[in-house]
Amino acid sequence: MTVPGIPPAVTEETAPFWDAAREGRVVVERCTACGAHGFPPRGICRSCRGREMEWVEVTGPGVVYSYTVNHQRWLPDLEVPYTVALVDLPAHPGVRIAGRLHGEPVIGGEVDFGVEEGPGGFAVPSFRAR
Amino acid sequence: MTEERAEHRAVISGVGQSEIGRQVDRSGLQLTLDAILAAVADAGLTLDDVDGLAMFPGGGVANLPGYANGNLYEVHDALGVTTTWRQGQVEGMSLPFYGAAMAVATGQARHVVVWRTVKEGSAARGAGGRPAYGSTKPAAEGPNAWLLPVGMLSPVVQVAPYAMRYLHDFGATREQLGWIPVTQRAHAALNPDAVYRDPLTIDDYLAARMISTPMCLYDCDVPADGATAIVVSAADTTADLRAPVRIECMAGVVDQRPAWDQWQDFSRVGHATAAAMWARTDLRPADVDVAQLYDGFTIEVVWWLEAMGFCGVGEAAAFVEGGTRIALDGELPLNTWGGQLSGGRLHAAFGHTAEAVRQLRGEAGDRQVAGCEVAAVTNVGVLEAGAALLTRF
Ligand SMILES: [Zn+2]
Repeated sequence: MTVPGIPPAVTEETAPFWDAAREGRVVVERCTACGAHGFPPRGICRSCRGREMEWVEVTGPGVVYSYTVNHQRWLPDLEVPYTVALVDLPAHPGVRIAGRLHGEPVIGGEVDFGVEEGPGGFAVPSFRAR
Repeated sequence: MTEERAEHRAVISGVGQSEIGRQVDRSGLQLTLDAILAAVADAGLTLDDVDGLAMFPGGGVANLPGYANGNLYEVHDALGVTTTWRQGQVEGMSLPFYGAAMAVATGQARHVVVWRTVKEGSAARGAGGRPAYGSTKPAAEGPNAWLLPVGMLSPVVQVAPYAMRYLHDFGATREQLGWIPVTQRAHAALNPDAVYRDPLTIDDYLAARMISTPMCLYDCDVPADGATAIVVSAADTTADLRAPVRIECMAGVVDQRPAWDQWQDFSRVGHATAAAMWARTDLRPADVDVAQLYDGFTIEVVWWLEAMGFCGVGEAAAFVEGGTRIALDGELPLNTWGGQLSGGRLHAAFGHTAEAVRQLRGEAGDRQVAGCEVAAVTNVGVLEAGAALLTRF
């Protein structure tokens, strides 16, 4: 069954993220000059404006910054309700990623990281409460 | 403040609106023309005086059905005008009159009309409900690439986590914040152009269906059809104008990461913009007679109340509770036309600006706030932000 939704437009900057996600990995940019992490990928460091970025796989746990439980069927066939969370990654300062959260959502709670099937055959970030 | 401010070289000279409703069965172009003609007449001008045109958004933005309507050149041609300045706005608008004020302040034009036309009410009905953001495109582009594919399919879902965090951090309750839509509905009852005018109670609010926690139906603005036009004129033309309004100060600062998922501090939304605005005036929050604060969602009003200094950070829930402070006869009458929550999602502070002008002129009918001399207008807050004080001429 296909997941209803709107798939991402893939760009030069974001293709490595989506490719890694298909392999089950979540990757973010890291600046080779100053070590700062960056997300979403932009090919430039937001701290030192260096242009040499490398990809690193994120390691958990994530911490729930906040969340919402969506009840509205924004698209036909969208199954509701579901929880979406904004998750910070303490091991990667400044990186926050949005994704569906499974399990009990708690602000400040720890979550494990992964991917799940998303729209258009893409794998998208996914979290599970610890 | 003796130093000359660029915004003092501009005035808001006219406001005009088309018919507004959940569904108005006329094209966006016709609604646009109705609003422009009304605004130009309201200014005491004719179309032959108009030499600048601007619209929000420009023709290239169509993330939501009914969100963008028409094209500046089509309207230009329809009106048969000659212009020396034009602007199709997407990013960087700040406030409806911001760019137009800069244009007349620098002599690029004398009288600019800026408009915003929405057909989101009809589009929502056609879609069988409020449709997903980005659903007019096959794939999610730019910042939406990180939101839509994981199910953050509407600005409601995108802002809801910050509302949740606000309640969590400050111990505020939905029952307290519900006084914002409830009080604004009472104001809408006195506005014949408002979309929803029937009484709304706190019990109605708490019983409403949840859209995306903690935001229920009444925390979201009402998709509507309608057009609003505003005329901005050079300050040295005031002898030709019927009832101009001064722009005392205005500012627009984007200091947090401008993406729905990446705000660093939800409790500081609008603060940098408000601080920059207050630095341009000797007026203080206590001088404000009416507040037209952007209300795409209830929580945005909360942020602006705090950012503008009408109350402290974390204090907005107590400030609005019971509704007395924000009622028409309260210390800070709020969104006196009903706001977007009841008046209709005219969007981007166009409805808020039109109401501020009417209140300052004493032309707000049954909802007129007595002795209104200073009006605050704000727009959005993070991705884009604007705040201004308008004053009686
Ligand atoms: Zn760097």
